[in-house]
Amino acid sequence: MKNINFKNSLTALLSILLLINFGCARDIDELELATFPTDGDVYLDGFSGGLNYAAFGGSKVTAFDVDTEVKYQGTSSMKFAVPDAGDSEGAYAGGAYYTATGRDLSGYDALTFWAKASKAATIDVVGFGLDLEESRYETSISGLAVNTNWKKYYIPIPDPSKLTEERGMFYYSEGPEDGKGYTFWIDEVQFEKLGTIAHAEPAILEGQDQTIAAEAGDELPIGGTYSIFNLPTGVNQRVEVAPSYFDFTSSNTSIATVSSYGVVSVIDSGSVVINAKLAGIDAVGSLTVGSRGEAIQPLAPAPTPTQSPDSVISLFSNAYTNVTVDTWNPFWEFSTALNFDLQINGDDVKQYKQLNFVGIEFVSQQIDASEMTHFHIDLWTPDPTDLPAAFKILLVDFGADGNFDGGDDSSHELSFTSPTLKTQEWVSLDIPLSNFAGLTNRKNLAQLVLSGDIANVYIDNVYFYKSGETVVTPTGPTTAAPTPNRDASKVISIFSDAYSNQASNLNPDWGQATSVSEESIAGNNTLVYRGLNYQGLELGSSLDVSSMTHLHLDYWTANSTTLNTFLISDGPVETPYTMPVPTSGWSSIDIPLNNFSPVDLADLIQFKFEGNGDIYLDNIYFYNDEGGTGGGDKPTTAAPTPTRDAANVASVFSDAYTNLPIEDYNPNWGQATVVTEEMIGGNNTLVYTGLNYQGLQLNGSQDVSSMTNLHLDYWTKNSTALDVFLISNGPVETPYTLPVPTSGWNSIDIPLSNFSPVDLADLIQFKFEGNGDIYLDNIYFYKDGGGTGGGDAPTVGAPEPTHAAGDVIAIFSEAYDIVPIEDYNPNWGQTTVVSEQAIGGNNTLVYKGLNYQGLQLNGSQDVSGMGFLHLDFWTANSSALNVFLISHGPVETPYALSVPTSGWRSVDIPLSEFSPVDLTDLIQFKFEGNGDIYLDNIYFHK
Amino acid sequence: MKNTNYILSKTALFSIILFGFYGCTEDAENINRNYQLVWEDDFNGAAGELPDASKWVFDIGTDWGNQQLEYDTDRAENVSTDGNGNLAIVAKQENFGGQPFTSGRIKTQGLFQQTYGRFEARMKLPWGPGIWPAFWLLGANCETVTWPQCGEIDIMEYRGQQPTLAHGSVHGPGYSAGGAITKSYALQNDRYDLSFHVFAIEWGTDYIDYYVDDNLYQRITPADVPGEWVYDHDFFIFLNLAVGGSYVGFPTDDTRFPQTLLVDYVRVYKEVN
Repeated sequence: MKNINFKNSLTALLSILLLINFGCARDIDELELATFPTDGDVYLDGFSGGLNYAAFGGSKVTAFDVDTEVKYQGTSSMKFAVPDAGDSEGAYAGGAYYTATGRDLSGYDALTFWAKASKAATIDVVGFGLDLEESRYETSISGLAVNTNWKKYYIPIPDPSKLTEERGMFYYSEGPEDGKGYTFWIDEVQFEKLGTIAHAEPAILEGQDQTIAAEAGDELPIGGTYSIFNLPTGVNQRVEVAPSYFDFTSSNTSIATVSSYGVVSVIDSGSVVINAKLAGIDAVGSLTVGSRGEAIQPLAPAPTPTQSPDSVISLFSNAYTNVTVDTWNPFWEFSTALNFDLQINGDDVKQYKQLNFVGIEFVSQQIDASEMTHFHIDLWTPDPTDLPAAFKILLVDFGADGNFDGGDDSSHELSFTSPTLKTQEWVSLDIPLSNFAGLTNRKNLAQLVLSGDIANVYIDNVYFYKSGETVVTPTGPTTAAPTPNRDASKVISIFSDAYSNQASNLNPDWGQATSVSEESIAGNNTLVYRGLNYQGLELGSSLDVSSMTHLHLDYWTANSTTLNTFLISDGPVETPYTMPVPTSGWSSIDIPLNNFSPVDLADLIQFKFEGNGDIYLDNIYFYNDEGGTGGGDKPTTAAPTPTRDAANVASVFSDAYTNLPIEDYNPNWGQATVVTEEMIGGNNTLVYTGLNYQGLQLNGSQDVSSMTNLHLDYWTKNSTALDVFLISNGPVETPYTLPVPTSGWNSIDIPLSNFSPVDLADLIQFKFEGNGDIYLDNIYFYKDGGGTGGGDAPTVGAPEPTHAAGDVIAIFSEAYDIVPIEDYNPNWGQTTVVSEQAIGGNNTLVYKGLNYQGLQLNGSQDVSGMGFLHLDFWTANSSALNVFLISHGPVETPYALSVPTSGWRSVDIPLSEFSPVDLTDLIQFKFEGNGDIYLDNIYFHK
Repeated sequence: MKNTNYILSKTALFSIILFGFYGCTEDAENINRNYQLVWEDDFNGAAGELPDASKWVFDIGTDWGNQQLEYDTDRAENVSTDGNGNLAIVAKQENFGGQPFTSGRIKTQGLFQQTYGRFEARMKLPWGPGIWPAFWLLGANCETVTWPQCGEIDIMEYRGQQPTLAHGSVHGPGYSAGGAITKSYALQNDRYDLSFHVFAIEWGTDYIDYYVDDNLYQRITPADVPGEWVYDHDFFIFLNLAVGGSYVGFPTDDTRFPQTLLVDYVRVYKEVN
């Protein structure tokens, strides 16, 4: 029995040295080495010691052979015969060379080999570290270019110190090129210590700083790991590096930890940043995990569908009989999605976590939705939905052959963003199937693919249905702004029907693109800015408002994402104030004038508005908040007096109407809130001081199902959270979040559909939850007389461009000279109908029934000296519109335009958005999407 | 003045090995030469300090006849000591003076020039396609006698896309630019951009010997040049870092910026008996 065990590697090493130095003849077999063999040879003229070969599944197993005719040096090389497409023995060549016993490769820094091929080709992947088991240190190069000459190739070892027991010596995978097979040879495969691999540039997550919303229990694998190395040939080589090579760190291990395999485990709530190093070098890219802690899920089920079962084909809903769905998660390659089935109040819902994309397949029983008009899905997410976060829905039809591919497939993807998307609210999407313009067939629907930026989502009521109704998009407010009730002697008014206004020019020409009009809305004159970029308002003469304390504005916008109001005094001295947008109904704001410092209030000359979207403005006036505290703890003026017809109102708390029978404005539900009623500006106001929560008990149950909206006026200086709930018997309750704090009284008109599934015919209670001191008035339900439909063509021309001709390269505009255009309607197989129409006397490019549409320049244009692409566009019915720039290659990049528009919309897109398109070599435009699009003033400018 | 006896015994040993390795036909004559230090700059200034104006002047401008792409400035962000005992010449990607890059080019013209002796610099080189650092000498009579009649001795040139190769050359009448007499020295299992290396010539009446780290890799004598031997008068020193140009080609997407040529010291010796 051998009884000499060298457990200590140093001892073993010394022993070897001694053996060398003294030439000791002791039998080395008696020593149990603590390290593995350091042999670096893989294939020189034959398999090195212990090397095995295994062909990959689905590959042509005879693809690899030893070739004694063609070789770089020595007696043989490895030959790989890539099969032609359709080869019955296998679709590609691929396999791994591995050893049964690990080797210590820590003394090497690269795997090198020589290669040539029967033709110039690109090998899909070559690498090492595939051991047919864990393959922990897989390392590879994708897209290795080979040609008919022998050339030496290098695969750097990302961190040699990790490879003390590596069994994966070499692997490759290559398919036919353009359907054709070919042969390549590889020779002299060996690990080498070169000393000339330098300047590692490691990265995780493809070098991006990514942010993900997560919950306790989530396991998030970090991918996109690679490193660039500078080879001795001077080439920067990208190497795909397994995550296990990296050393990961978490900025707070009590929130999330990272395993040595690069898997993030979320433990608790909070924000944590994951970084990594490769061999001591900081990796570019990071993962910021925003953890909610314990999972947040919907408290109430999605609204119960109301479509007749006769006109529904349902994939998933408790309300209908569902068709067979093969899988709700086929775990497609690169998909990280996990799916769960759960119940909310007895209602089945599907949950996805870590959703990047997921394919929902109904291939075995395909759906014929040719008689259907709409696709419906209910969504609920705990994740932030701020722009530009998108949720995408792709429908795929396999065509008459019923099989994937085969040339008759069609599909279309739609993208949804805020304000359609909402956080912690059920969002019901009813999408006309005509919006899926590229989905030319609907008889063999087989896949539904969900993707986008919303990693956590609950879905319910996924079905197709047939509807006789068309969807109407509201374009503006249907009610007037609240009527001001301040004493005219303490007001200096700029724009209001309630006061006499100062003389002013409402639309001075400052080069803006905004379209300005005055419109009567519910009998009230309203100032409307459509397609705002910026807009001035010039006072007739300099105005002294230094005796005033506040600027008041009423404003309404459904689509603005940024809005600033400026006051300007002589100089000019100007200061912006940021307005919360978009609004829910009319929003009233009272801005203390000290916010506009250092503007000279005694010498005011102009207003300016900057931002985007369509803005409705009214009651722009300064006032003196007589003896009031301005931003005090309580309002000094009454809430706006309601103006709705009492016949259409069911009031809960208002001096303006007869209130419904109320059992108790302060039922004892154990709350801490102090409830009072106070006269404010002569108006009785409901006051919640120190709110935690507060109920309001109706007398019996009330039927408000004929109403459309809940109106509230509220005022709070110190609240940071405020939800209003409606409650029906059950109890079934649903919250709606009110924006807080307010600047003055805020008026909100909440569509009652937001309170689904509360039974509006059986309402019993209100509840308020949150904090701070809240002043409430004019709590009432009302019936909206009906929305307005948008026309389907613009009636005015696009705004006149304002850029200097010398700074412009124009593609389509009457305002500039146009560069040579080969074809405004090249035949790329599209179904779009292209025409030019005079609209408001202005020639306009019209795409009807857009699926996609090209525009061919004459030769190529160099627009690299320009900074922006300008477009004016108008569409009432498009739900998706992308504009692409295309350079030779083709290299093309889309930019998503916000649709539908309310009136003309002008965009100036930084050309950097189109990277990597070669701006010196632009050849084409492309538009993709749906609907009818009106375009004008397509030009580049500096 | 320091009086250093520079004994090249180790050099001789390596030289012999190298002569064999490169198959050079020169006689391995006795090249133990005694040198005395006569001029040096150790670049021991604080970080961000411009090079010593008593030793160096700036060349400001662009091209210099080689179609190089950088604008050479006299700004500390392009040429300054790094506070760690080195001079840093930094090539940056920025629009300046109508050029897409900036860098630096300094010389001892009018301040120091010498005929014969040992000229050496210890440097760590930058990397990447289109990166072209150089340590070189130019005939001090170049303002009266046109180039290449005045002579040019390139002690070190290097292309950033060939990080293992350094080049030594002479340019003279009838053998300049592409016709220069030149030879390269490749590092084995190392690169010039990973650590400092010493680049030197030893120059006498009828020879110029080129060294990397005490390894003699080239001897140029009057017999080696196809024209006049013009290396018999005073020359002055250049240090510069070019971007692009006819010698090195364009920088590419693989070229990282900024790139830095670090110079630990420049020393000049005279031979003494």
